[in-house]
Amino acid sequence: MGKLYLESGWLAMNKAGEQLCGDHVETVNLEDSFIMVLADGLGSGVKASILSTLTAKILSTMLAGEMTVEDCVETIALTLPVCKDRGIAYCTFTILQVQKYTGEVYLVQFDNPDLILLRKGKSLDYPRQRREIAGKAIYETRLQGQIGDLYIMMSDGAIHAGVGTVLNFGWQLPEIIDYAQRIYTPELSAKSMAATISDACRDLYMGLPGDDTTIAALRIRQRQQVNLMIGPPMEKDQDEEICRDFFALEGKKIVCGGTTGTMVGRYLGQPVLTTLDYYDKDIPPIAKIKGVDLVTEGVITLARVVALAAQYVSTQIADPSWLTKQDGASLIAKMLFEEATNVNFYVGRAINPAHQDPNLPISLNLKLRLVEELGKYLEQMGKTVRTRYY
Amino acid sequence: MNILVCIGSSCHLRGSYDIIQRLKELSAQENWGDRVQLGASFCLGRCTDGCTIKIDDEIITGVNKDNVEAIVKKALEERG
Repeated sequence: MGKLYLESGWLAMNKAGEQLCGDHVETVNLEDSFIMVLADGLGSGVKASILSTLTAKILSTMLAGEMTVEDCVETIALTLPVCKDRGIAYCTFTILQVQKYTGEVYLVQFDNPDLILLRKGKSLDYPRQRREIAGKAIYETRLQGQIGDLYIMMSDGAIHAGVGTVLNFGWQLPEIIDYAQRIYTPELSAKSMAATISDACRDLYMGLPGDDTTIAALRIRQRQQVNLMIGPPMEKDQDEEICRDFFALEGKKIVCGGTTGTMVGRYLGQPVLTTLDYYDKDIPPIAKIKGVDLVTEGVITLARVVALAAQYVSTQIADPSWLTKQDGASLIAKMLFEEATNVNFYVGRAINPAHQDPNLPISLNLKLRLVEELGKYLEQMGKTVRTRYY
Repeated sequence: MNILVCIGSSCHLRGSYDIIQRLKELSAQENWGDRVQLGASFCLGRCTDGCTIKIDDEIITGVNKDNVEAIVKKALEERG
């Protein structure tokens, strides 16, 4: 099976008017497994936030330390502060743990809406074993995961979306499953799946969530490398060597920048075919070179990619609209955020004499800063990033 | 006749999008059809001189959406 890459992403919406979210997602990326916990605290606001943060932190940390689920749940039962108004300490949770070398999946659910498992895009029912621990009825599942599996967990804000306003009974689980199956494509990342469902919840709540609403997704996938080259080398006689190294890399290739594109075209012996199609008037059109997966303009396009990355890593903003756009920046974003698990940057430090106009915001420094920023965001997304300067 | 509009970073910021829109309008208005081929080009190397276009082998700088019509019409007259 090889070592699996576990891609995760989530979106949390606060109940309208609340400063804090009463749901909490915690992930632990271990050498041999990945743990994701979603907890939903009783009530909303600060009390709920404390309950869910404690629960998610305790569960993920103890499981990462290879403690049993009994120990974890008992610890929570003894630790959580009791609510003064209601006289109980209550926090629902879903635990998902996937083994990276074997693909074994361990699932523990307590009172959250049922986790949805999409296999090849279709919802798959799984067995649940009922157990009682510290007075709580929890449901345990062990199953064999497969590449492409998508696991979607949520807080009950999702199934209550639209209750009493646009829907009589809220957005019920079978309907969410149906929606998830419809938007599923094999390329869709965990984060984008979570963002799209979260977006639908926001619409059903008509922009004013009646409860904290969190959607968290995890996808089992194989590693995939994407390589991006921007800028020609400082020393012109390195052109050939840099191109040779870059095209020897495995995975898709993106080339950014006019001068860089021209250099690559020369190396490959292929013409650079530009187009006049603006999909977005602020982003210069893309070009085509046979043998390169994507050719775009440089700094302006990259600045937009960085802006999209900032939005992508946010767990508060769900705007998946760029997923279907065709401009150069959205296309780069799709390849880097959605497809890649490993990213290689090739960054040239040649000074472009054309960019020396102090009135234009396109200096070399800006380019280096953008690449650095983008790299940080990609690492936050859980990707391995390597940068080679030349 | 071939017209290439530079869409490099610098020219993009100086308005190549508007020039391309204007040229497309003109092409439809004046029925250029096959007589004039429109295209885009990466950096033509004249960034500091403002928006650059290339008509056949001639590089013309300092182009904007207002003067592009006159420039192209003059070129058309000269080249027939």
